[in-house]
Amino acid sequence: MSVPTRLEIIEKVKKDKRGVAAVFPIHYPRELFRAFGIHPIEVWGPPGVDTSLAMAHLQSYICSVVQSGLSFYLSGALDVVDIILVPHCCDSLQGLGSILKGFVKKDKPVFTLYIPRGKRNEDIEFLTKELKRLYENIAVFAGFKPTKDDLLDAVIKEEEADKLTLKAYEVHRKFKTNASEFYRLIRLREYLPLVEFETHVNEFMQKKHKPSDSVGVVFSGVLPEPMDIFRLVEESGGVVIDDDFASLRRRIYPLGESDDPFERMAQRILNAPPDAMKGSPFKDREKFLLDIVRNSSAQGVVFYNVKFCEPEKFYHPILKDSLKNAGIRSIVVEVDINEPLPQQVKTRIRAFIETLKRG
Amino acid sequence: MSVAQSLNYHIKFKLFGSQIVKWQANRAYRNFKEPKNRKSDILASPLKIGVKTKELITKHYLEGRYVNGVRPVAWVTSGAPVEILKALGFYILYPENHAALCGARRATLDISSEAENRGYSVDICSYARTDIGTMLSGKTPVGKLPKPDILLACTNICQTVLFWYRVLAKHYNVPLIVIDTPFLYDNAEPHQVEYVKNQLENSIETAERVAKKSLDFAKLKNVVKLSKEAAALWLEIMERGKNIPAPISVFDQFIHMALVVEKRGDAETVDFYAKMLAEIDERIEKGIGAVVNEKKRLLWDNLPIWHKLRFLSEFLAEHGVSVVASTYTNAWGELAPMIDVNNPIESLAKTYIHPILNRSAEYKLQVMEKMIDEYKLDGAILHSDRSCKPYSMGQVDERNRLVTQASKPALLLEADHSDPRSYADEQVKNRLNAFLEMLGV
Repeated sequence: MSVPTRLEIIEKVKKDKRGVAAVFPIHYPRELFRAFGIHPIEVWGPPGVDTSLAMAHLQSYICSVVQSGLSFYLSGALDVVDIILVPHCCDSLQGLGSILKGFVKKDKPVFTLYIPRGKRNEDIEFLTKELKRLYENIAVFAGFKPTKDDLLDAVIKEEEADKLTLKAYEVHRKFKTNASEFYRLIRLREYLPLVEFETHVNEFMQKKHKPSDSVGVVFSGVLPEPMDIFRLVEESGGVVIDDDFASLRRRIYPLGESDDPFERMAQRILNAPPDAMKGSPFKDREKFLLDIVRNSSAQGVVFYNVKFCEPEKFYHPILKDSLKNAGIRSIVVEVDINEPLPQQVKTRIRAFIETLKRG
Repeated sequence: MSVAQSLNYHIKFKLFGSQIVKWQANRAYRNFKEPKNRKSDILASPLKIGVKTKELITKHYLEGRYVNGVRPVAWVTSGAPVEILKALGFYILYPENHAALCGARRATLDISSEAENRGYSVDICSYARTDIGTMLSGKTPVGKLPKPDILLACTNICQTVLFWYRVLAKHYNVPLIVIDTPFLYDNAEPHQVEYVKNQLENSIETAERVAKKSLDFAKLKNVVKLSKEAAALWLEIMERGKNIPAPISVFDQFIHMALVVEKRGDAETVDFYAKMLAEIDERIEKGIGAVVNEKKRLLWDNLPIWHKLRFLSEFLAEHGVSVVASTYTNAWGELAPMIDVNNPIESLAKTYIHPILNRSAEYKLQVMEKMIDEYKLDGAILHSDRSCKPYSMGQVDERNRLVTQASKPALLLEADHSDPRSYADEQVKNRLNAFLEMLGV
């Protein structure tokens, strides 16, 4: 699969005289930016960045996603973008937003978006208004306001992409395709234009896949970095058959119902799969994880946690108990996205898959 | 309510327990003596009102032992809008205060290990680990905690409380009310305040169902009035620290703030702070400073290091350093003017979205600079609290700005509010010594 890099995409967008928004994790409506003709590119780390720049602003006990993101920003790598968006999805991202807006200002707007921690009527109503606020802010930068129809059109296109992504997951589950390739494909949505993303997914769907007899495992956490993890699982005789990652599965938003585009975007985000970053109740997360495991016939779950990610850590004991009661094995491992997979993690995952293979 | 529970409550708490505690406190107050191990050469005698602090807190936890089945019980986060529950007659327990108490009594390690052994990571806030440890094991230095009938978590202090309270809600199988307060990077916008107001209004039904009674708005107004009065008095007390020498230090404030957190909305809390203010004014009249030979005055940022209060207080006092103001204790008073007794729900929404912990790091820096100016401070200690990321993130820049813009020495001190494993004695001493050298003491 030959795909352009993030930088190549940015250059292409710029050449078309369109704006680029750098978006920090986790939840936001891509469609809102697309309606403005602004191209959103997500900043998940990236891994492997020299984090010494962030160390001048952050304590060592802040997670590596934020450390990398801030370092990346400070290194000047985001100077090419026009807008920064920091959704509020945890205390650390809150702090990142605060530092970007207050202490390391650059000549570009930093917008924030508060994601409510619930899906009650008042939460949807609030997020609807919050999205309108963001819309107004972007409009100042863009110099125009997309119409209601433009916005709805953008929402519907994203909904189609979500449906397509879910179908790709089905194919991956059915044939246990190569997880490294599959997840590289799904992660293209973090920065590719929608049509290009869909083209790649359709190519994947049309391919003839041979069923594999590898042991299926589900991964749960924030993001699959370092990506070497998929190869490690494969080399051990397993395959990551589905996931409960905040960056992936939990961001396949359902269809909205409202005719109002802002309310529909809010419904999509808040009715999406349960997520620690939205403070979802345990029962919702237990059900979602068990459903994924059962639907994929996975034999075990790996909680693949970014060190210092407190929201995820609160859920582990209860989710592990729930899996245990359902006869499903699980382990918790910790990684730093800036470092290669630790030997200890490799050994534990190999041993875990070996155990699953023995049944 | 069973007859046995009611009898137990009335006999063991009302008739005997609280009366004995009160009698002991009155006697101790009348015959107030300086503690034997007090370093009177460097520190002023403790405030007499401390006897009353102890009395009220002891009575509060004592009531908690017998209260189940007699009054509905709510567990709430420290910054939660508790007034509605108070007006409905709930007994209120603050798990954070309980965890802080465990920290001060050095019980954190033992209790939090109960949670850690069940899979709760050491990277989780030590307050949460402590209370989950108590929940799982029953261990607590206060004897016994009442079981909650309802939980109230407000995200205006951190997101951690949301997860922590979900753990409690699952364990105790009781309703959880979440009041979600959007973080204020800038000034509050109308839709943000409205969101909090809507949640408060919608929470009333659940609270009424659990309390088995309807909310009396006249009572609510009275509770709000008492909250405002207590917070205003607390603010006045802290502002007395502007006096030179400062009559109380933040180490005193950390102890005495327990009531404005735990018992705001009660009449006796207002009486308590009025008496405390009078005692402090008496000190000012007599020229008594909290530190005997006050040479330098500092600001404290972030939560206390509960298990090292005494060490820090004495270590700094030995060098003539008085820590006279704190962004943390200030947070419990600074919003008092926002409370509008005649417009309780809307003003609670407005007040509870504005705590310093729900505002940007840049705003926090402004508060620190203002306090440094108004309290005539010589520098600042910023406790980089491993367990409190929302308070700590931004401190590196805040410290640098204090040094470069306000030209004040500032120290970033790594520790944890409760967990002693994140604190190294020698390292802290070395850092403090170097800082004191910079201060010239």
